[in-house]
Amino acid sequence: MSDTATVASIATNGIETIVLYVISGLCYIPFFKKCGLEWWKSFIPGYRMYCRGLCARREQEGRILAFLEVMTYLLALTMLIDGVPGALLLILSLVQVICLIINFVQAIKLNIGTCDIFNRRRTWVLLWMLFADIVALHWGLSKKFQPSRLATDKDEGAEESGITADEEAEGLSVNIAARTARSAFQTVTLLKDIHMVIPKGHMVLLLGGSGAGKTTFLNAVTGYEKADAAITINDINVYNNYEQVKYNLGFVPQQELMRGNDTVLKTLEDAANIRLPASMSIKEKKQRVQDMLESFGLSMLQNTMVEKLSGGQKKRLSIAIEFISDPDLFILDEPDSGLDGVVARGLFEKLRDIADQGKIVIVITHTPDRVIDLFDDVIVLAKDTTRTGRLAFYGPVSTAKRFFARGTMEAVLRTINQKEEGGEGRADEFIAMYSHIARLVGEGKTCEEAADTVIVEKYKGATA
Amino acid sequence: MNKEIKDAKHQGRVYQTGIYLGKFFRMFIYQNDWKVMPIAALIAGLVALVMKNSLFTTMEGTLLGSFAIACICVWNGFFNSIQNVCRERPIVKREHRSGLHISSYITAHTIYQAFMCLMQTIITMFVLIKMGVSLPQEPKGLVTGNIMLDLGITIFLTTFAADMMSLLVSSFVRNTTTAMTVMPFLLIFQLVFSGGFFALPDSITFLTDYTITKWGLTATCAQGQYNDLPMTALWKSMKKMRNGSITAGQLKEFMLASPDFSEDPEMVILLNSIPDDKEIMFDDFITAIESQNGGYTIEKKSGELNQEEKYASDPAVISKCWQMLAIHILIYIGVATAALEFIDKDKR
Repeated sequence: MSDTATVASIATNGIETIVLYVISGLCYIPFFKKCGLEWWKSFIPGYRMYCRGLCARREQEGRILAFLEVMTYLLALTMLIDGVPGALLLILSLVQVICLIINFVQAIKLNIGTCDIFNRRRTWVLLWMLFADIVALHWGLSKKFQPSRLATDKDEGAEESGITADEEAEGLSVNIAARTARSAFQTVTLLKDIHMVIPKGHMVLLLGGSGAGKTTFLNAVTGYEKADAAITINDINVYNNYEQVKYNLGFVPQQELMRGNDTVLKTLEDAANIRLPASMSIKEKKQRVQDMLESFGLSMLQNTMVEKLSGGQKKRLSIAIEFISDPDLFILDEPDSGLDGVVARGLFEKLRDIADQGKIVIVITHTPDRVIDLFDDVIVLAKDTTRTGRLAFYGPVSTAKRFFARGTMEAVLRTINQKEEGGEGRADEFIAMYSHIARLVGEGKTCEEAADTVIVEKYKGATA
Repeated sequence: MNKEIKDAKHQGRVYQTGIYLGKFFRMFIYQNDWKVMPIAALIAGLVALVMKNSLFTTMEGTLLGSFAIACICVWNGFFNSIQNVCRERPIVKREHRSGLHISSYITAHTIYQAFMCLMQTIITMFVLIKMGVSLPQEPKGLVTGNIMLDLGITIFLTTFAADMMSLLVSSFVRNTTTAMTVMPFLLIFQLVFSGGFFALPDSITFLTDYTITKWGLTATCAQGQYNDLPMTALWKSMKKMRNGSITAGQLKEFMLASPDFSEDPEMVILLNSIPDDKEIMFDDFITAIESQNGGYTIEKKSGELNQEEKYASDPAVISKCWQMLAIHILIYIGVATAALEFIDKDKR
């Protein structure tokens, strides 16, 4: 075929594709309008698929399909270019096949979501897969098809406290304005408006339902994942001095993240060599290792392989690894998981000893009530209606029980958990109440006094 | 206290490399890493069993044997490291957050794996020799002056490059399942695109440059003096036709189709003097060639006509292969380090 004929053929194909795309866009206009989206969004390649994802409350799938649509167009365009090497064509064809397979799977998921939102049987998925444009037009025009929720529906969370914690206070000062995560088309707020000062020597329980942002909060506090925040430990800004401060943080993960095929002694010695300052002599480091072995009851096991230790012993070793550098802030993520009540109690008593040495200890546990007497304070994180992690309470344990009017921490958790999680769904109410407490504390009241004031106000309001 | 924290200096990269090197060598004993050594001997033994009579004695045998040796190296290298980083990824993440330098960690792995590859090279060479594989006919090595050392360097570099490639994969993926899923694809790519064994379309020949097997195979062929060896395929095929025959008429037809014969009047007279229906047995020809030791002449001539410039026994060819393998190794180490630097971004 001559060059002119090839160009003419490409142009014809291109015009055909554009015309078909515009017709397809026209079909989607009523559907998008019904879902609360602007009509012009149905004409933008890629973005249209993302909007379909929003309509179906399947944003993730919409995002993938949008990416694949753009990829498909780019691949097709590249393959039309004259003089593309055969090898590249081969690879592009392969990519195209892979894209098609992923597209097929994601489209099924998205169409299932669409049927669910419109309360229609899933047999419609087949029609959506085969004749998407026609089905979109039909659903868009027919009054029988109405979405149970608009794509633009957004929940509003509880109001913000508008306070800040004292950054120069002794201990840990936390001022998290927001912790967001970016995705292709939007920014999600994972945490916001969390302000507190935890004094030295306090052992604090971190309480929150699944997805409330406990780990995100801890990662923001330790600087592992930076937030829009100011975190200071004893007046040192964690984010600005992370390279130095990281040695002053102890984070004990939930799993025993240690090499099983090494001895207890060598594991601790290696930890000491990395975490302790280079200025310390070998003798001092060895002494510190021995202190840790004794302090955590591991002396008799120092030549035992880590994999041979029991669950409790592994946990103690894991804590000793972090404690070897004598950090001011000590964080433990479910240290009692997999331990029986007696061993767990012993472990928490050890943590109490550490706090009594002037350290700040923050602990996440899913069985708080059996050891609640050992804690000074409790941080309660809850998901508000926008699914953002918010501070629902920070203060002494006894005040928390009065504030939530519940006798146990598990009952507190049930109160703030969302209804679909089996909770009472009262998170927003307590977030708003706690904001009030925080403002009163900012004005000079103690947490107890502020809580009493707010509780009294609440009951007056309820009586009225 | 605050000043103490801010001013405190911690152990640097070199010291940390030492710590991790010690850790890995303890793992060699405790974690049974040593088990890869007998496996290397077993694989080398199997290959030697099949290839011992043809490797470095014929062109086909040398190409096939060099390919097999490159495959041994890639197999050994891949299995050394494919799970090393990903299986302890959460541990590395924890240690990185408490002061571990990723460059120290990867350097320690590199040194430890170099030791492993060296041991595997020695074992492979030992087994090949013990199993009776004949060494190249040129006893002097082309680069170092010692053929054993030359071959050893090629085997070591090929194994180490494969090892570092699998270390790179292990640094990228999040778990061992993904690593073991990716590995067969890499292995197939290495085998198919080695460039020596499978004929590839011209448009994708450039891909062979990105395989470790190509450089390992080329260096081994060059060291085995591929271009000076006889090619046996033709003579073997001829011998298989021993029981066949052809009529004089058919022979005349073939020969007279060529101007060399048809334009020679004497040849035409000679051919026409034979009756067309006379049957000529191939066995007569082959026996005649064998009686004058002509088979070897055919093999040598066949070899001369099938020489490959890329396998020339030239120190420059071998040096280039080694350089390419070294570049592969350096790139893999660099990318593995860069990939692992993002370990803090891992989700829970």
